[in-house]
Amino acid sequence: MNEPVIELKHITKRFAKVLANDDVSITIHKGEVVALLGENGAGKSTIMKILYGLYHATSGEIWIDGKERKIATPKEAMDAGISMIQQHFSLVPAHTVTENIILGNCKGKLDIKKKEKEIQALAEKYGFQVPAGEYVKNLSVGTQQKVEILKALYLNARVLIMDEPTAVLTPQEIDTLMEFVRRYVEQGNSVVFITHKMREVMAVSDTIVVMRNGSICGTVKKTDTSEAELAHMMIGRELETLEKPGTEDMSNRRVRLAVKDLSIKPKDHTPLLEDINFEIHEGEVLGFAGVSDNGQQELCEAIYGGIPITSGKIELDGEDVTNESVKDRIKLGMGYAAADRYRYGMVAEMSMSENMLLKSSYLNKWVNHGLIRWSALHRYTEDSIKQYAIKAPDHTVTAGSLSGGNQQKMVVAREVDMGDKLIIFDQPTRGLDLGAINYVHKTILGERDKGKAVLLVSTELSEIFALSDRIAVLYKGKIMGIFKNGELTTEKIGLLMAGVQPEKEGAES
Amino acid sequence: MQIFVNLITRAIFMSTPLVLGALGEVLAERTGMMVTAIEGIFLVGAWGGFIGAYLSGNLLIGFLLAMVCGLIVALLYGVTTIYMHQHQIVMGTAVAILVTGCCTFFYRVIFGIQTVPLKVSILKTIKIPLLSKIPIIGQAIFSQNLVTYFTYILVPIMFFVIYKTSLGLSMRSCGENPEAADAAGINVTRTRFLAVAIAGCLGGIAGAYYPLCNVGMYNAEIIGGRGWIAFGICFLGNWNPVGALIFGVIFGISDALGIFVRAMGTSSVPSELFSALPYILVIILTVCRKQFNVPAKLGANYVKED
Repeated sequence: MNEPVIELKHITKRFAKVLANDDVSITIHKGEVVALLGENGAGKSTIMKILYGLYHATSGEIWIDGKERKIATPKEAMDAGISMIQQHFSLVPAHTVTENIILGNCKGKLDIKKKEKEIQALAEKYGFQVPAGEYVKNLSVGTQQKVEILKALYLNARVLIMDEPTAVLTPQEIDTLMEFVRRYVEQGNSVVFITHKMREVMAVSDTIVVMRNGSICGTVKKTDTSEAELAHMMIGRELETLEKPGTEDMSNRRVRLAVKDLSIKPKDHTPLLEDINFEIHEGEVLGFAGVSDNGQQELCEAIYGGIPITSGKIELDGEDVTNESVKDRIKLGMGYAAADRYRYGMVAEMSMSENMLLKSSYLNKWVNHGLIRWSALHRYTEDSIKQYAIKAPDHTVTAGSLSGGNQQKMVVAREVDMGDKLIIFDQPTRGLDLGAINYVHKTILGERDKGKAVLLVSTELSEIFALSDRIAVLYKGKIMGIFKNGELTTEKIGLLMAGVQPEKEGAES
Repeated sequence: MQIFVNLITRAIFMSTPLVLGALGEVLAERTGMMVTAIEGIFLVGAWGGFIGAYLSGNLLIGFLLAMVCGLIVALLYGVTTIYMHQHQIVMGTAVAILVTGCCTFFYRVIFGIQTVPLKVSILKTIKIPLLSKIPIIGQAIFSQNLVTYFTYILVPIMFFVIYKTSLGLSMRSCGENPEAADAAGINVTRTRFLAVAIAGCLGGIAGAYYPLCNVGMYNAEIIGGRGWIAFGICFLGNWNPVGALIFGVIFGISDALGIFVRAMGTSSVPSELFSALPYILVIILTVCRKQFNVPAKLGANYVKED
């Protein structure tokens, strides 16, 4: 093994009362890819933010090239050759690629044209197709990530930390990224890859550091371990295995949701949705795969009634609901767990009971002559807490005080009850850890078995494959095709997600 | 024809403080700081400017004191918002109200209650040799006072700094994505503080323009919402110094029109309508504007984690 570049020694980090990192020691060698594996809240990002100077360790030491260094700011980390690509990119959308890259690394009068050329050359050297003069807001997320990488390369970084870099990419883009990582470490650089996805860990890393509850629970060589062992280390217990969706033909069953020729075409804008046609039958999960922002949210909101549609028809149990208000659709039995639950699904400052009431305040469920029946509502909330194993002391705590996974469980509990006929799940497990994902998946399959129709949107292919009876692929507001689960390989779905229609070889449905 | 030239001359003259104040506001808002204390800064500038000039008999001292007063108010606003993380709009308004009270109070403490308003001689017009001989613009542009010249020279300088220098890039980044600026090693708090301080100095001079270049005396109503107009001009000018200049002149014209109509005194239209014109214009133009290029984090405090 090469010499160590960075040694983190016994780092402990405390936020007020929370212990985020407890005696964490990690060594990064030259020419090595270190995968930092762990569930949400395991402290992976925290330890790397300490190395990058964004946080400061309560105790512990950072050694670089065999010497102890204090890193107070990201600037100092960059001077030491460390760059970090955070989950939420540190880019200025209103500025050009070049302006973003030279930010903080230029003096006095700017010669933008000259810098632009330099950066274009750097991008070409690494085979990145990045227009140096373009505004960042006009770039796709995948390209924005390349801008972040270029920023690091521009600073001659030799240790590149990437926090969940693949969450926003298509399978093809992930392959490109992995290729870059390999090329980059071959030149004697190092990469730290923060992730909770096993597949990537096994694909790219040399050393795997597994974290749980703020401390390290294992450091292993990739060659000495297996996915199963890693999963066990990461969660600390076994996960329930879910039964695979059947290959049963559902086309004879009753149609619960029918969407016909649905289009949303704003003026002066490319269509958000174009000629969407599909049906979901009783007891069926239809999964919508696709890279985010290809019309998924618009589709969910159109069905739910949140945004006006240009043309088309939506039928629920044979009843035309195209012109019904959101309120009436809720009454008819539609549930909707929005992707951004924090914004659209809950009020953080209100209690759990109040949040459970949120969507039924005008129904007679909990309201009697305009007065809220608190005791019944509290009982219902307490039941939900028990049934969904939500980690909350009682119904009086605010929704905002729960962790992300428990907030999502709360929203799911409510929507499952609201949606008697149809439940729309938009990214139901985004940001959740494996345990919570497992629980949400179980719930979705359970509701399906009760005969409800489920519309599932997810950017995680594994989730789509695990839950869907049929799979639709959305690309730029159009359905690229609807397939039975099992008909599609990852490669094929990746191409569809990128808008490429693979050669027809019995893939029709 | 002469009326038209006079009108334009007057418009440029009246637009000077508006443009100057708006330039400071543009710079500050580009870093994400909505200096809602601007009305107070204008007023304290007018107050300080008059007192300095009256007591020393020297207009330069008046302007210097105005700048210092504007700076102090801006610092009060900056410390409470940038370092103590108080709400920008609430603090700005509170500071402006505080300043209003203080100015009236200390004016009386210093001068007592006067029956006849105290006066200072106003800043002289300087004709630029040769250039002032050019027809129309010679009088309109090159026969103005020093503050006006300073303001018009400042416009291209400000444009250059904001768009063509690393300092400008840093400032704009602080207003668009302070987290990114911070991660790039830029001191967001210091950058914002600097911008607010500059806005305070410019706003102070702009405020002093009214007693020292226009009316030659001070009263509590001397600013009368013109700070807010400069604030509006910053919005209308799309956070661009050149835009601020254009809209500043438009407001200068409406200001000048009001004065002309009042001076003629024969119009069937009440002169109050023309006095109200700038304020009505702010509302109409703001509503009509379609595309805004607002700094993404305008008005949002930056609180660093940890």
